[in-house]
Amino acid sequence: MEKKKKDGIARLLEIAGRRKYQLALSGLLAILHAALALVPYILVYYIIKELIDPPIDTEQVQSYLLWAVGAGVGSYALLYASGMASHVAAFNILYELRKQTAAKLGQLPLGFITTYSSGALKKIVADDIERIENFIAHQIPDFVKGIALPLVTIIYLFYVDWRLAAISFVPLLVLAIWIPLMFRADYTKEMMKKYHQAQEDMNSGIVEFVRAMPVMKIFTQTADSFRQYSNSVNEYAAMSIQWMRKSSPPFAVFMSFISNATLPVLVLGTYLYLQNGITFATLILFLMLGVGYIKPVFALANMGMQITLINRGVQRMDDILQQPIQTGIQGSAHFSEYTIKFRNVSFSYTEGLKVLDQTSFTIPAGSITALVGPSGAGKSTAAQLVARFWDVQEGEILIGGINIQSVPVEELMREVSFVFQDSFMFQETIYENIRMGMDKTESEIMAAAKAAQCHTFISQLPNGYQTRFGERGVHLSGGEQQRIQLARAILKDAPILILDEATAFSDPENEYLIQQAFSRLIQDKTVIIIAHRLSTITDADQIVVFDQGRVVATGTHPELLKQSPLYTQMWKAHMRAKDFELSTSTQKSIKV
Amino acid sequence: MIKNILYAFRYDPPGIRKALFWEWLHGSLIAAPSGILLLIIWELFKESPDLRTIWTTLGVMGGLFLMQLYVARKAMMASNQSTYEMSRRLRLALGNKLQRLSLGYYKKRDPGDLASVVLQDVGNFENIFGHSVTNIANALFGTFMISLFLLWLDWRLAVTLILAIVIGVPLIQLSKRLVEKYGKQQIAARNATGSRFLEYVQGIQPIKSYGMTGERFQSLDLALDSLRRESIKTEAIPGPVVLTVGVLFEVFFVLMIWLGLYLLAGGTVTSAVLIAFLILGYRLYEPMKILMVEYPVLSYMNVSLNRMIDVLEAPEQEAGQGEHPSTYDIEFVQVGFRYVDDQPVLTDVSFRASAGTMTALVGPSGSGKTTITSLIARFWDVQQGKISIGGINVQDMAPATVYSLISEVFQEVYLFNDSIYHNIQIGNAQASEEQIMAAAKKAQVLEFAQSLPEGLGTFVGEGGSKLSGGQKQRISIARALLKDAPIVLLDEATASLDPENEIYIQQAIEALVKDKTVIVIAHKLSTVQQADQIIVLNNGKIAESGRHEVLLSQEGLYYRLWNTQQRASGWKIEKNLKTA
Repeated sequence: MEKKKKDGIARLLEIAGRRKYQLALSGLLAILHAALALVPYILVYYIIKELIDPPIDTEQVQSYLLWAVGAGVGSYALLYASGMASHVAAFNILYELRKQTAAKLGQLPLGFITTYSSGALKKIVADDIERIENFIAHQIPDFVKGIALPLVTIIYLFYVDWRLAAISFVPLLVLAIWIPLMFRADYTKEMMKKYHQAQEDMNSGIVEFVRAMPVMKIFTQTADSFRQYSNSVNEYAAMSIQWMRKSSPPFAVFMSFISNATLPVLVLGTYLYLQNGITFATLILFLMLGVGYIKPVFALANMGMQITLINRGVQRMDDILQQPIQTGIQGSAHFSEYTIKFRNVSFSYTEGLKVLDQTSFTIPAGSITALVGPSGAGKSTAAQLVARFWDVQEGEILIGGINIQSVPVEELMREVSFVFQDSFMFQETIYENIRMGMDKTESEIMAAAKAAQCHTFISQLPNGYQTRFGERGVHLSGGEQQRIQLARAILKDAPILILDEATAFSDPENEYLIQQAFSRLIQDKTVIIIAHRLSTITDADQIVVFDQGRVVATGTHPELLKQSPLYTQMWKAHMRAKDFELSTSTQKSIKV
Repeated sequence: MIKNILYAFRYDPPGIRKALFWEWLHGSLIAAPSGILLLIIWELFKESPDLRTIWTTLGVMGGLFLMQLYVARKAMMASNQSTYEMSRRLRLALGNKLQRLSLGYYKKRDPGDLASVVLQDVGNFENIFGHSVTNIANALFGTFMISLFLLWLDWRLAVTLILAIVIGVPLIQLSKRLVEKYGKQQIAARNATGSRFLEYVQGIQPIKSYGMTGERFQSLDLALDSLRRESIKTEAIPGPVVLTVGVLFEVFFVLMIWLGLYLLAGGTVTSAVLIAFLILGYRLYEPMKILMVEYPVLSYMNVSLNRMIDVLEAPEQEAGQGEHPSTYDIEFVQVGFRYVDDQPVLTDVSFRASAGTMTALVGPSGSGKTTITSLIARFWDVQQGKISIGGINVQDMAPATVYSLISEVFQEVYLFNDSIYHNIQIGNAQASEEQIMAAAKKAQVLEFAQSLPEGLGTFVGEGGSKLSGGQKQRISIARALLKDAPIVLLDEATASLDPENEIYIQQAIEALVKDKTVIVIAHKLSTVQQADQIIVLNNGKIAESGRHEVLLSQEGLYYRLWNTQQRASGWKIEKNLKTA
């Protein structure tokens, strides 16, 4: 991890280096392809030599022709081989990078992953990494070809006639000077900036326009938002046209030079031929070969832009790959008991904004402890820290006297179960969705399903426990998925249980069944409940009240009602909210 | 594909005509040096070359070069300008269309995907069209001109060369089909990898907590490996076919030379003509190679064009006859509704909600509660029966009229990345500052805004990311208060989205529903005991309806739902099992 962070081409080459032999082979084959591709031209040169100097040696010419066919076939075969070598290298590298990134995600703190949307992570693994293929499979071989082809050509041309070879450089030289000038001009930079700004404005304008459309329709303000939208679209189009007007003259020069690149060779060649300095065949050879290498060279100029695009993706990937992973000492999870202790714990997601600030409290083994407080007070974060979703920045959390920072996450996880609001189902059978890889018998799984109030609805599925989740037509309601999650936790039977109480209320139609399953689950465990509705936790052994990252009170419900003004206030609000009834009449009705 | 491109052309015909003219001229100038080259070579090939002709021709070539400097610029500007113009008009047309699509369309389609049509798809068109179509036009034009010239020189040799193209085209077609076939498998492998990966990431918490990292990782690894193999296949298998086309060109070029030598010996062709073929023959194939490179790019653009045309041609709602109701009773008469190609969601639903009363919709999930509210707001149009507001069929009103009568408070809230103040103002652009402040106060927005650094001027972040669910909800209620529409559609569950702040949202809702015609989707039955009418839905049909007391006394579905909820609501978390 201490390795210096590379970026740009250096980083891309480092990535490519994983398959350097395959890539070297691809490059070598590309060079051979370039060399063989010249052969037919050279043979044409020899054939012309024969033509203008009769009598024609038919046998000789026929052998030239056979050579030409052979070289043509050979050069294409080499091109294919070179392309395959680079593609195989590229796809293997993509595979390795994807695997490595996924493996890394499995080692990072759970909390870290939740800072990304799953869509964003998928984009990195699917799209950003895919872009690297372009660099490895295309740009590296193209680069080798772009260098090799001109080089082979030039060497050969100098060998035939140095004067014409020299003059064939003129267009290349002119362009080599012209292109940087064309892009370096100050106005270009300024315009580029304006152009990109206009593009960004339009892009965010479009996204907002589309996303806000339902709202704008409801509030009948579409005309207004369309005006803004069309302004940004028009602005961008005007900017593009302006930018294009500025950039078209240099481009026109470029195009004109390319298609008239033969002119210098033609002039000097004609002159030399008339002076009997060269043969007719040599002139033709130069006219055919003397300018063909220009285009590949300028294809190289395009690489820069591509690389910037690839790099952005690579950076996003590196952001993940370079995250520090959580460590621990193997085999240190020997808990003799499960008292959980927070000792001066401080934690922040982003620097400067403390979510927990010097919190200390103790959760006795085998007790039910509820964490309460206004939203954003830190109660959920505190619960997640117990399972090392994140590592604390100050202080320590102890389980049975052992600092959890020294316990590897996999080992810690064996001791903890969670029941959160979002239950995730795998595309597997219901049976496997409950078993979750645990070493349990069928009767244990059925028992857990019964305890979690799942058995009845599972039995009604087309294939019972063997029904695959997500298959055509087989979908479970939110409440049913919650109960599967509860069955998992009952089956796992871990000594520590972390619950989000809102889970019990996430499906009003099945609330009662979920609550029953909940009650079954918490038997004989050390339970931490993130509580939102105070009436559910009035019987808890201990209630910890959070406010702005600090623990402001601890005690049982009756104690807190006497001691904690915040708790009392929350309790009163909750009692009022509980009796909420809707009515359109002005006279408010309160249930007695 | 050509149909789609012509569709896009409709957005700027004069620009396209201008662009085509200049591109044609530029194409001729690009081809010209080859011809001049040939003239000079012929002259030089003569026994006694005429120096004046040669230097004059060279002069002409220089002149054409200068001309190209001008024409190239004109051509580039014309084709780019018309590309930008077409893109601009396409974006405006799409924007216009998006305003006219029904709200139901927005429910069906992911807004991100829709935005990408306007953004990426038009962008793809813009980037590819100007550059690719020019290349292809030049290539086709070039091949055509050179073919004509060669045919004029010697038809036998020319036909030999052209034969390679004739044989090559089916091979290119074949390679295209191979690419499609293996590309499909590759896409399938890519999608499989995508869903495996999503499962791995979204399920990472249970995966880790049940120690399944190894097992799950393996199945992802398998998918990644199959993607790798499919990708290599997609490159490896069509490749030789494409390259065979290249070999074909080489072979026919050699055949042409061989034939040329034979004809030369027979005296029916001159050395000069044969030399011309040697020089120009290869150039005949160059454009074909460009076509092979550009074609896939163009197909890619075509996919984008298809997506754009799909949106542009999507059916719109009837605008109605511009009627306005004067009262606000809502009536369903034997309404039947299904989403496209789907099971019926509502069957034979009839009820009446009088102005100023509250109607509660209750029933199991999937029973059709949300669909009823969506239909009132004309998100969709019904297939059977009719829905009327104040006696006027909603389909006889412009959708905008219907929206103006309705305020909605649902679970999803869209907030602009702007100040809280402006987000409330959306409710009524003409509202005065006092009105906005009053709405903010009534909806309990001030309760939390006061403690923010800039009060109502505080920016809410992208999509309201700086606020809690309950705070966003209160802003949306403030909007609705400001709009002051006579009908309120409400999802009761919004009140419990943010349990810590439940009481504030409840107070905001109370302020909103006063004296309105209210339709509320209710989950917690105790909330709607006071409703003037409770409609109990089951499987898209009305099972029973009436007031709370009446329904309880009937001991039907409502009675059962009520009893289960009563048991649940007294629930406490305790060690010893004594629930139930």
